[in-house]
Amino acid sequence: MAIYTKDEAKRIMEKAMSFSTADACEINMNGSESGNIRYARNTVSTSGHRSNQNLSIQSSFGKKSGTATIDEFDDVSLEKVVRRAEELAKLSPENPEFMEPLGPQSYDDSISYNEETANITPEYRANVASSSIDPATMNEVTAAGFFNDSSGFSAMMNSNGLFAYNKSTDSDFTVTMRTNDGTGSGWVSRDFNDITKFDASEASKIAMEKALMSKEAKAIEPGRYTVILEPAASADLLRNMFGSFDSRRADEGRSFMSKDGGNKLGQKIVDERVNIWSDPLHPEVPTATWNGEGQPLKKMSWIENGVVKNLSYSRYWAEQKGVSPVPYPSNFIMEGGSASLEDLIKDTKKGILVTRLWYIRSVDPQTLLYTGLTRDGTFYIENGKIKHPVKNFRFNESPIIMLNNLETLGKQVRMNGDLIPYMKVRDFTFTSLSDAV
Amino acid sequence: MSNKFFFTRLQYESGNWDVDQRMPSNLLNSLVEYTTLAVDTRENIIPLASDDIFECPFCYISGHKLVQFTKKERENFEKYVRNGGFVFADDCNHDIDGLFAKSFERQMDDIFGTGTLKKIPNDHELYSIFFEFEDGPPTTSQELNGWGDDLVHEYLKAIEIDGRIGVLYSNKDYGCEWDYDFRNKRWYKIDNTRFGVNIVMYALTS
Repeated sequence: MAIYTKDEAKRIMEKAMSFSTADACEINMNGSESGNIRYARNTVSTSGHRSNQNLSIQSSFGKKSGTATIDEFDDVSLEKVVRRAEELAKLSPENPEFMEPLGPQSYDDSISYNEETANITPEYRANVASSSIDPATMNEVTAAGFFNDSSGFSAMMNSNGLFAYNKSTDSDFTVTMRTNDGTGSGWVSRDFNDITKFDASEASKIAMEKALMSKEAKAIEPGRYTVILEPAASADLLRNMFGSFDSRRADEGRSFMSKDGGNKLGQKIVDERVNIWSDPLHPEVPTATWNGEGQPLKKMSWIENGVVKNLSYSRYWAEQKGVSPVPYPSNFIMEGGSASLEDLIKDTKKGILVTRLWYIRSVDPQTLLYTGLTRDGTFYIENGKIKHPVKNFRFNESPIIMLNNLETLGKQVRMNGDLIPYMKVRDFTFTSLSDAV
Repeated sequence: MSNKFFFTRLQYESGNWDVDQRMPSNLLNSLVEYTTLAVDTRENIIPLASDDIFECPFCYISGHKLVQFTKKERENFEKYVRNGGFVFADDCNHDIDGLFAKSFERQMDDIFGTGTLKKIPNDHELYSIFFEFEDGPPTTSQELNGWGDDLVHEYLKAIEIDGRIGVLYSNKDYGCEWDYDFRNKRWYKIDNTRFGVNIVMYALTS
């Protein structure tokens, strides 16, 4: 087993620390057990189990650091890896941005571990696959999917007395369904810490229905349309926007958050209904309560009523600017509304339902302009009803402009560890048609 | 008549003239911001068949459907342009040479003679009269979608009367490029309506 208890991990790390002769030493240790199943053409193609463990030593002499890793934890191996890190440190150039390791911290107890997820069996995974394959086969649809579950731990210790430990579980599922005639495609994605919230049949059914509904799409003219973005469609654009919430990039003029003589902290950048925060203890999207630098993670507001409330400050940049460090968050939670997808469709006179955006690339980092394609189910809505599938589009859009053109916020959905609402947005720019199905 | 510049949109019977409705406010804002021109911030909409056109220094016509002028529309268009008026015509089709482009070009051939609507060189005064556009007409997001599968019209066409542009014709869909919620203008790194300023300044000063 690669998952060590808090005491076991601590004992191994203390042993390694006892060999250290460096000015500063930081040890990171992690291990995981994970299982997966993959299927394509309505047949399982691979399934497997992985067990992995790792210990990494960073030794520093003054501002010179070296890192070495190992996956054997007997005394001889631990001493060997510490010596290797120290040798490398002595050979390294000085890092002018070196920061002393943090002292002891106190952390909230995380809720990121779930016993049911840790106990997933190969039979469970096989059932996930059959939940997609069986209905697909019956409906002349071809399914290709992947399910992965994992449980693991990570721990950190340093020579200034810091110790942190966290256990977590995770599961990820995606399936693409294509109609056998090649003209329809549907897709769905799910991820949970707590596997009891996952329903493979429900998810597969959505992907299959989208595939069947999107057969023989009609071309409509590109332009600016009111769109209903499913959370999977907006998630990547929003995550790219969150990437700008770093003060150093902003202060150095390298991001959307840059402004003459500073950054956009305190400035209203999007619609007043937009509220975004992070919270490692949120029951739907729990994470570890500390980050890779050993800093405690707490609930933190990033956008409040459309205004930039916080930017992250690394320890180095905070020292340069004379402020307290603000760790970058481990999740993002965007406030939603009460509307369901059906409600949003019902209230739309003319618009386009977008299942998913993919192949997203940056066009202009300063204005957060992105381009990419719709995929796996794009539908034309008229007078509150889905009228017909439409051919996919290329879009050119900025999440900032998108959140300024907000019409309605719908329910929140967990998406890749974040909570993202359904959104209705006006004037979403589709620039050309795509032949992709 | 007021001495202020006013933006006139032409209505016509065929096709659809009521497109890119928020475009004029973005263009008028740029005129206020960058120039000393006195500007009437209200859009003036008139039928092409109305004699009001002869009071307008600058007209805009767009759409993405058929352009088939009525007899009176055709007479007014020709008289207005031949008497020194300025019409900016912009095809509102995205991505392709659509019905508006084809039928408008045919209409110009009918009125002014085949071949009078000509490509203008990219060092034309239009591209330097206020802001400098070294490469000719700026591209639009409809054209530049970032993937090299672009359909870029790298020139504009015009009908010149006595050495001066009377009809400026764009196949680039500037109208839609400049048609967005006013509040979002602040997020554009380069104000994309600057070329509109050149068009207006050319119309008023040449």
